[in-house]
Parts: sequence; C-alpha cells; structure tokens
Amino acid sequence: MESVLAFCFAVAIAPLLPAVIQKTKAYFAGKQGPPLLINYYTMIKLFKKGSVYSTSTSFVFKLGPVVGFSTSLMMLLYFPMAEVAPIFSFHGDVLILFYLMGLGRFFTILAALDTASPFEGMGAAREAFFSTLAEMTIFAILILFFKLTGSLSFYEFFSGDQAIDLMGEYSALLILVVVGLYVVMLTENSRVPVDDPATHLELTMIHEAMILDHSGPDLALIEMGAWFKLLFYSGFLARLIDPFHAENVIVNGLLFYAVVTFIYISIGVVESITARYKMPQVPKFILTPFILVFFVIILSMGVMQ
Amino acid sequence: MDTLFVSIAVILAGGAAGLLFYRQFTLMKLVTIITTSAGCGIGLYFVLPKLLQGTTATVSYNWMHTLTLFFQLDSVSLFFLMPIFLIPPLTLVYSFHYLENREKRLRTGVNYFFFSILIASMAMVVMSANMITFLLAWELMSISSFFLVMYDYESSENRKAGYLYFIFAQGGAMLLFAAFALVHSHSGSFDFNSFAAIPEQAKLLIFILAFLGFGSKAGIFPLHIWLPKAHPAAPSHVSAIMSGVMIKMGIYGIFRMYLLLDPATPVIGQIVLVTGMVTGILGVVYALAKQDIKQLLAYSSVENIGIILIGLGIGMMGVSGQNQAMAFFGFAGAFLHVFNHSIFKSLLFMGAGSVLHKAKSKNIEELGGLMKRMPVTGRSFLVGSVAISGLPPFSGFIGEFLIYYGAFQGLTGEKLPFILTVLAIISLAVIGGMASACFTKVVGLAFLGEPRTEQADNASESGIAMGAVMSIMALSCLLIGVLPEPFVRLAFSGIQDITAVSSFNSDSFLLIVRHLSKTAMLFIAIFIAVSLFRKILYLKKEIGSGSTWGCGFTQPTVRMQYTGTSYAYEMVEFFKPFVPIKNAYTGVKKIFPGKTTWQSEVTDIAETGYQRYLTTPLLSFITKLKWIQHGHIQLYIGYIIVAIIVLLLFL
Repeated sequence: MESVLAFCFAVAIAPLLPAVIQKTKAYFAGKQGPPLLINYYTMIKLFKKGSVYSTSTSFVFKLGPVVGFSTSLMMLLYFPMAEVAPIFSFHGDVLILFYLMGLGRFFTILAALDTASPFEGMGAAREAFFSTLAEMTIFAILILFFKLTGSLSFYEFFSGDQAIDLMGEYSALLILVVVGLYVVMLTENSRVPVDDPATHLELTMIHEAMILDHSGPDLALIEMGAWFKLLFYSGFLARLIDPFHAENVIVNGLLFYAVVTFIYISIGVVESITARYKMPQVPKFILTPFILVFFVIILSMGVMQ
Repeated sequence: MDTLFVSIAVILAGGAAGLLFYRQFTLMKLVTIITTSAGCGIGLYFVLPKLLQGTTATVSYNWMHTLTLFFQLDSVSLFFLMPIFLIPPLTLVYSFHYLENREKRLRTGVNYFFFSILIASMAMVVMSANMITFLLAWELMSISSFFLVMYDYESSENRKAGYLYFIFAQGGAMLLFAAFALVHSHSGSFDFNSFAAIPEQAKLLIFILAFLGFGSKAGIFPLHIWLPKAHPAAPSHVSAIMSGVMIKMGIYGIFRMYLLLDPATPVIGQIVLVTGMVTGILGVVYALAKQDIKQLLAYSSVENIGIILIGLGIGMMGVSGQNQAMAFFGFAGAFLHVFNHSIFKSLLFMGAGSVLHKAKSKNIEELGGLMKRMPVTGRSFLVGSVAISGLPPFSGFIGEFLIYYGAFQGLTGEKLPFILTVLAIISLAVIGGMASACFTKVVGLAFLGEPRTEQADNASESGIAMGAVMSIMALSCLLIGVLPEPFVRLAFSGIQDITAVSSFNSDSFLLIVRHLSKTAMLFIAIFIAVSLFRKILYLKKEIGSGSTWGCGFTQPTVRMQYTGTSYAYEMVEFFKPFVPIKNAYTGVKKIFPGKTTWQSEVTDIAETGYQRYLTTPLLSFITKLKWIQHGHIQLYIGYIIVAIIVLLLFL
C-alpha cells in the first residue's frame, strides 16, 4: 500500500519539480519565472490539442512517445522512491531497467529518423553516441554497488545490512560516485552543459531536436517521460546523499523530496552559471565520471579485502 | 542415434532431389524444400527430448578399414544441433520466393544440393568424437559453404570474396590439423577422449592453435575479414545460415577443444575473454561504419561472436577460479546467445535479402521509406534489430542478461580476474549501446524517412513465403524475450554434461528468470495501456498532416536527410586509431564554386594490416620463385621423386 502511494506521489510530483529548475534559472536571470504549476498547465494544454503528422512518417513515429513514456514509468515502479520499498523489485532488476531505458531511447531515435529531417537525424546521432558513453559510467556504478552490497536491485542497494550510505564505511569512495552519477544525470536528461533544452537554434540541440515534429498528446507523453526520468535519476542521487533517516514514513518521504528538490535547484544553478560545451568536448565531459568511478572500483579492491 | 543418421540421409536426399529435378523449377524447389525440412524435423524430433532428458550416446563405424568414424552425443553437441536443424528449414522456405530466376535452374539445384551438404556436415561436426571424423565433416562444411558463396560467380567481386573465404577456411583448417597433430604426437591416438591426458604445458599451445583455427571460422578479430566480403556476395538465405549457424561451429570447436583439453591454466579463459571483448567492440564499431546492409550485418555477427566469447571466457575464468556460479552463467549465457543469435541474425539477413530483391540496393544511403512499402519485411526487421541490440522484452536481452549475471558473480575474484571481469561488463555495456546505435541507423535510414532513390520508392512487399518466415522468426524473438524460462532451461540442459558446473543448483536463478518474464509482461501491459490512453486522447481530434518541420526551410528534398555516414561519424571517430577513416574532399575553390565532392571511407584495419605485412611481402617473395613453375611435366615428376627421396632419407 505504502509502495503504491509512494509511486503515485512520485508520478504526481514529477511535473512540479522541473518548474523548480525554471524558477532557479529565472531567479539568476533576475526574472520572475513561470508559475510552479506551469508543467501541469502545459500538459493539460497539450492533451487538449490534436496533432499534425508529417507525411514522411510511419507508425514508428507514433510508437516513439509511447515506448519512451512506458520505459520511464517502469523506472519509477522499480525504484524505492522516498525510501519506501518499490512496488516491484527483484535481484537483477537494475540490468533490465537500464536496458529498458535503452529501448525507450531506441524508439525515440527511430521516431526522430522517421521524420526524414536532417536536424532530427543529427540530434539522434548525438543522443545515440552520448548515451552509450553515459552507459559505461552507469555500469561502472553498478559494478561498484554490487561489490559493496552483493546485490543487483535498486531496493537492495539501499536496504539491509550492507546498504549504501554516504555516512557509512565507504563514504570517501561514494563521493566520487555521487559526482559521476550527477554527470550521468545531466547527460541522460539532456541538461546543460551536455545539451541545452532552451537554446534558440535546432542545430545545437540534442534531445529537443529529436522531438521537433511531435505535437499534442504525443509531445505530452514525451515530456512526461522526460520528467519521470529526471525524477528517477535525482531520486537515485538523493538516496545516495540523503543523510536523514527518520522513523516516520511521511517525515522520511518529506526529507527525501527535500533532498530531491535541492538536486533540482542545483541543476538550475548549473544551468544558470555554465554554458553548453562545444560538441567535440561533450564526450570528454561524459567520460570523466567513468574514469572516476573506475578509479573507485580499483580502490574498492583494496578496501574490500 | 540412428534416427539422427536417418535425418541426415533425408536431408541429403533432399539435396540430391535438387540436382535430379532441376528441369522442373517449381517442383524441384518444392521437393527439395519439403524433403530437407522433413529431415531437419526428424533431427529436431530426436534432439529435443534427448537434450531435455540429458542422455548421451556413442556410435562408431569402420571406414575404408583403416579409419574409424566415431560419433558421440553429449549435451553440448545436442544443444548445438538445435539451431542446425531449426534454422535451415526456415531459410529454405524463404528461398522458395527468393530464388525466383527460372533461367538459373541448374544453379538453383546445385545451390540446394550444397545447402543440404552444409546442413549434414554441420550436424556431423558437432557429433564427431575423433579427429578423423571431425576434420572430414569440417572440410565438407567449408567446401560446401564455399560453393554456396559462389552462387553469383559471374561478378569478379563475388569470386574474390569466395576465394578469400576459401583461404580463411583452409588456413583455419591447417591450424586445426597442426593442433590435432600435436595432440596425436603426445597421445598417439585419434580419439577425442585422449586429449585430457596430454601434458599440461603442451595444452596451451594446442589450444591457441585450435583457437585461431576455429576463430577464423567464427570470425574473431582479426581473422574476421572474410565475413564482410563473403556475406554480401552470397545469396541471402545462404548468408542467413552461414552467419546464423555455420560460424557458431567455430564457437563449438573452441568450446569442445576447451572441454577436451580440460586445462588447468587460467590463461586460456583470459585469452578467450580478451579476444571476445576486442572482437565485440571492434565488430560493432565497424558495423556502425558500414553502409552496406549485408556488410553491416556481417560485422554485427563478428560483434555477436565477441559477446559469445565473452560469455565463454567468463565461464572458463569461473572454472579456473572455482567460482561455480560464474562458470555456470557464463557458459549458459553464451549458449543461449548462440541460439538467439541464430534466430535474429538469420531474420535480419533475410530482411536484407528481401530489401535487396525489391529495392535493388543494399546500400542504406540509397534506401529509405521502406516501412510503408514493405510492411512485413520492415516490421520483422525492426523486431530483429531490437532483439540483436539486446533490448528487452526481446530474446537478445535474455542471453546477455545471463552473461552479465555470470560476470557480476565473478566480481569476487582476485586482481587480474577481477579487472578482466570489470572490463567484460563495461564492454558488454558499450557493445549494447553501440549495437542499438548501429541498428537504429539501419532501421531509421533504410526503412524510415523518405526513399532516397526511385528504386526504393517503387519497392513492394516480397513473396508470401519470405514474409511468413520472417514473421515467424520475429514472433519467436518476442516469445523468447517474454517467456524466457523454457529457453533458459534449454541452455542449462545444454551445459549439464560439463563436469565443472554440473553440480550447480540453478533453481534460485530460475526465480529471477520468472521475474524477468514478469517485468517484460508488465512493460508490455503498460505499453498497451499507454497506447490505449493515447488513442482515447486522440478521439474526435483534428489530425492534420503536412511536411516535416524544416526549421524554417520550406523546400526540403529527400537528399537532405541525414546519411548513415554522418550518423555514425562521431561514434566511429571516437575509435579512430583502430578504425581508420579516410576522407577525400575536393574543396571549395574560386569565387563561384563549382561541383565539389566529399567522400568518406572506413577501411578495415585487419585487412590493411594483412595487405601490408603479409600478402605484399609474400607475393614479392613468391614472384621470385616463379621460375620453378615452367610447365615441363617431366621436371614436375622429377620434383616429386626428389621430394619423396628426401623425405624417405631424412625423416
């Protein structure tokens, strides 16, 4: 029951939090910014609309948003949001979930290529490349977590005797992992400095360029999928750095979401004070955390013996 | 075991029928296909229960009074017999509409004849239990597949590809002869069972020789260069069987050699693992760099051989590190991937063949928009692509999951095994990501978007036999992904006769497999629910249609679509030292520039390496010896006599 409620809450709050990023950016720019509920309004607006489909597209174009949304939703079903056990969990679920994310990406890329637009093709190529590099870091993190906890499930990572905890035995190692995961989060969710969701030129975008032709409810599904994905990654990060563990489930949940909000604000700060990297520099940026985490793995050999 | 020989006889009879009835084209095709498929059916009917019960059998025949033909079946052989009997009937049915040219009647008949020999010889390869039988079957397999590749021998390109394949097949066989001869010099016996008794220090050399010999068949890097040449040359149903089944005989050989030698040294597992990683990563990068669908698929086979070798390497390291779980899942994952790959790779080659037939091109830069024009081919190719990228809920994921699982079990190892296991997991992740990039490229450019040429625009769906076979295979990819348990059990029974892992209890893992299946079903349920939700949202809505948003540009042409070269460029460039890219650009000159060209080509580093360090020096050396060949037959006889005398006197 608790799990279902936690899941519903996560789904409900996912559109709210990205508005925090916008607010932060507006604050830095000296503007007032959109209302906090902006994303709910956008969603309702998009749901009410119809769509225009390009004559170039086939059924794959319509499949993209649906698959992308479904895979992001799967992540929330298996991840222990707000420190409550997830609805589903089993030993090995991290592998299938990260691969399901790959499936979502596969169809998003195909939907982009289906439009026959050079811009969307360009975005698709970059997405395919950068996400492969980010995947290396993710699997390095999984290796480390398996070494620390002996498990392959989101829930088991953070529960039991050997739960991963920044205050615990390996905190020095975990700090590097936090940095790594933060970069992966920025990459996978198309944030600055890898991708700029708010740039004025399609040529310089990655994710936004891929979804140029989607409109109406299809676009709403894509946006919601993106919000779920961001919530999943920041939830993952929050579970790592969250120092507070209260007895009460609700208090605990509130503390958890406070940390999540803090992460969203930090994304806003990063976006306000840095510019997007030049494209040739992005791979170097994405590979840096991989080296960090790989280093941690090597270190863990010494620690664990 | 007699049933198996009956099935081989029926398969060969089917091939012979192809030669006998070649004048009646359709009748010949029908008789051959039905008979050969029936033979495979008999074989499958025999193999499947035996595999599940875990029974073994041996039989031996005396041949020409000097050599014994010795056959033995254990679980490993039985498992490899599965794809051998399963895939050919499907490719044969496909070929009914693929080989449509009546004028090439005789050639089609000959093709079927060698096709049946290939099936029979592959079955014999996995059944044989002494060196003589094995090498006999192995050579039959190489030679029959050589003739299959040479189907379109008129084009010099194809002939070259065939010769290259022949060189690699026979060069590999030579290494096998060397390995077997070494064994024989130690044990004095032709029997496979004598392998384990030879001294430990000889085993490493023997394994390496055999590994290279079998590897040239399997397509390990850098012995893979025949694959991207031979596959585009061969007809698609032949590519399907060669890539789907035949190259796995190389894997079988490597694994059989390992089992027979039963080596104590951990080096062998490490060699296999590292080769697997190199083969897998470079295979997928080259696949990404190629624009010819069949070449791309050939490189993707190299990549998948890499994945299988990673699995085997993990397993072998598990055996030498006494980590049963690691060994069990490594082997099981490799086996399951062998099975899965045989299905989706054949499917993809058949899809490529269907495209080649109707759109008259296999270059993805000349295709596009085929999803609407060839719906069955397009959809099944899409499924095959998702499956080969190892994405759930399709079959490729299950095999890779087992290998991942085995590798994660190996993270408890000491220094070198630990680092290698970490690298294996990372390489699997990289291979997975690059494979999805590679196959989004094929599907996205060849099947989606707008047709780039008139021929692609006029393409229509292929014959019903081809469509039906591809649909069946696509469905089985989904089935294995959603209900993996029986297939995982099949892989488990395939490795039950391996003593190092036979006592491992896999029950707790089957629970995980059930969870995987549940997750896949949950995903599909969510997917259907979201699709319905989307349908409801679009009820009574205005659905417009127009041209793609060109970011303000209003005169788009199909030539402006993203090309495969640009799609892959950044990713390929990332691996630059190993994957050289050659660009030729004429540049913009003058104030009003005229026509300018830009060309980009990726050359295989192994191929250029062979050319520079092997063939060119060899050729210049041999040219100097030309005078020996003068055409005087009496002197040739003199050579023979001198050679025999020298051998008699000095050996």
